[in-house]
Amino acid sequence: MSGKQFFIDRYRKLGWEYRKPKLKQAIRFNTANIMPAAALQRLRELGLQVEKIPFLDNGYWVEKAKFSAGATSEYLLGLYSIQEAAAQIPVSLFTELEAKSVLDACAAPGGKTTQLADLMNNKGVIVALDIDRKRLTALSNHLERCRVKNTVVYELDAREVSQLGMKFNRILLDMPCSGNFATDDKWFQRRTIRDVERNARLQREILAETVKVLDDEGEIIYSTCSLEPEEDEININWAVRHLNLKVEQTESYGQEGLTNVFGQSLDPSISNCRRIWPEQTQGFFVCRLAKGGCA
Amino acid sequence: MIKEINDFASLFGSSLSLNEELMVKKQNRCFLLNEALKKSVSKDFFYAGIYLGKTVGGKLFPGFELLRLLAEKKANKIIVDKKTEWLFICGRDIFKQGIVNITGAGSKGEHVLVLNNRGECLGFGRIVCDLSKTERGFAVKNILDIGDFLRREKET
Repeated sequence: MSGKQFFIDRYRKLGWEYRKPKLKQAIRFNTANIMPAAALQRLRELGLQVEKIPFLDNGYWVEKAKFSAGATSEYLLGLYSIQEAAAQIPVSLFTELEAKSVLDACAAPGGKTTQLADLMNNKGVIVALDIDRKRLTALSNHLERCRVKNTVVYELDAREVSQLGMKFNRILLDMPCSGNFATDDKWFQRRTIRDVERNARLQREILAETVKVLDDEGEIIYSTCSLEPEEDEININWAVRHLNLKVEQTESYGQEGLTNVFGQSLDPSISNCRRIWPEQTQGFFVCRLAKGGCA
Repeated sequence: MIKEINDFASLFGSSLSLNEELMVKKQNRCFLLNEALKKSVSKDFFYAGIYLGKTVGGKLFPGFELLRLLAEKKANKIIVDKKTEWLFICGRDIFKQGIVNITGAGSKGEHVLVLNNRGECLGFGRIVCDLSKTERGFAVKNILDIGDFLRREKET
């Protein structure tokens, strides 16, 4: 159960016709370091033409550039980050961040961690975890470049986060996942349904553990860049039924989450999730969870 | 660690008063925390707060935020033009004709922070000739520049 046609048939059953997306490079201004108007002026002077992404506060498409957006003084000074547009959505869905304690459970390489710090105005505390030492180094470099001041990084599996003995007001679960074909030309050759099922199990384990360290009034943002419902709607349906979580309504780009997946009916609240099929952005899935579900 | 930081600051004719109680060390790397972060940091952390730098053999290899903290103080600095800014970030040394302003004596052997024309710190270097007596040519040896982030990205 693999191959391009297998997955394309699955997407058709979910209501989407496969087409190759036209991804655009996107950047995000680090507003703790520069005001967007000033950043725009500097990019104009450099000859970097950008256009506001309508569904993001600080995100811009790179429309035209004479050079790599990652090779400017402004980038190296941490005034902006290169971050795919859909990947900027999850952090933007937290209701309030400043002065909160935030867990970024699968943090490397750190694009979303720096976005969190930016929206927190470098106040409060971010605890960022990852298990891959090389990726932790990349995360640390990212934090230093973006002048993040409120983050502590641990080499720790998110499935063991309880051992930190902390509770969090906000938890970002940008899950390790199967990814999608929009950002990987060989995705269809590489992936099988077994990979998807294995990742879905891992995601449930992380969810189950991190719920233990969530404040009663806290929020979880769950996201994947997988289009496979086992890692998305079906996992959230499981979380609603088994972890006493509810899916909150969000104002976000994307289609409503699927409530019927391959003939399986899911909790109606799953429609509060957002599924983003690849077009200008990569594929993505995101939702906001809070305690107080039906379990 | 505070001694190494003070020694480093003095290279630029400057000084820093950091709260030692908020400084933590992880092997040879040093970090500055804020009060909230201090409560959340246990001994086995990987990175925390502001990276100040690492010490090797009693010598400090600074992080960029430490350079920024110094740049906010009275310290030896040069401001460079746009073209020199980019060359410096690419790891090149600085020629006298690219320097538009000098703070400090500009004497041979001194260390200087290198700033762009917006006052943003790009790194630091060592002056290789008396800047007041030199019109053209090689003037400041590049020691560390923010292009290091790109070089690190390639490594990871």
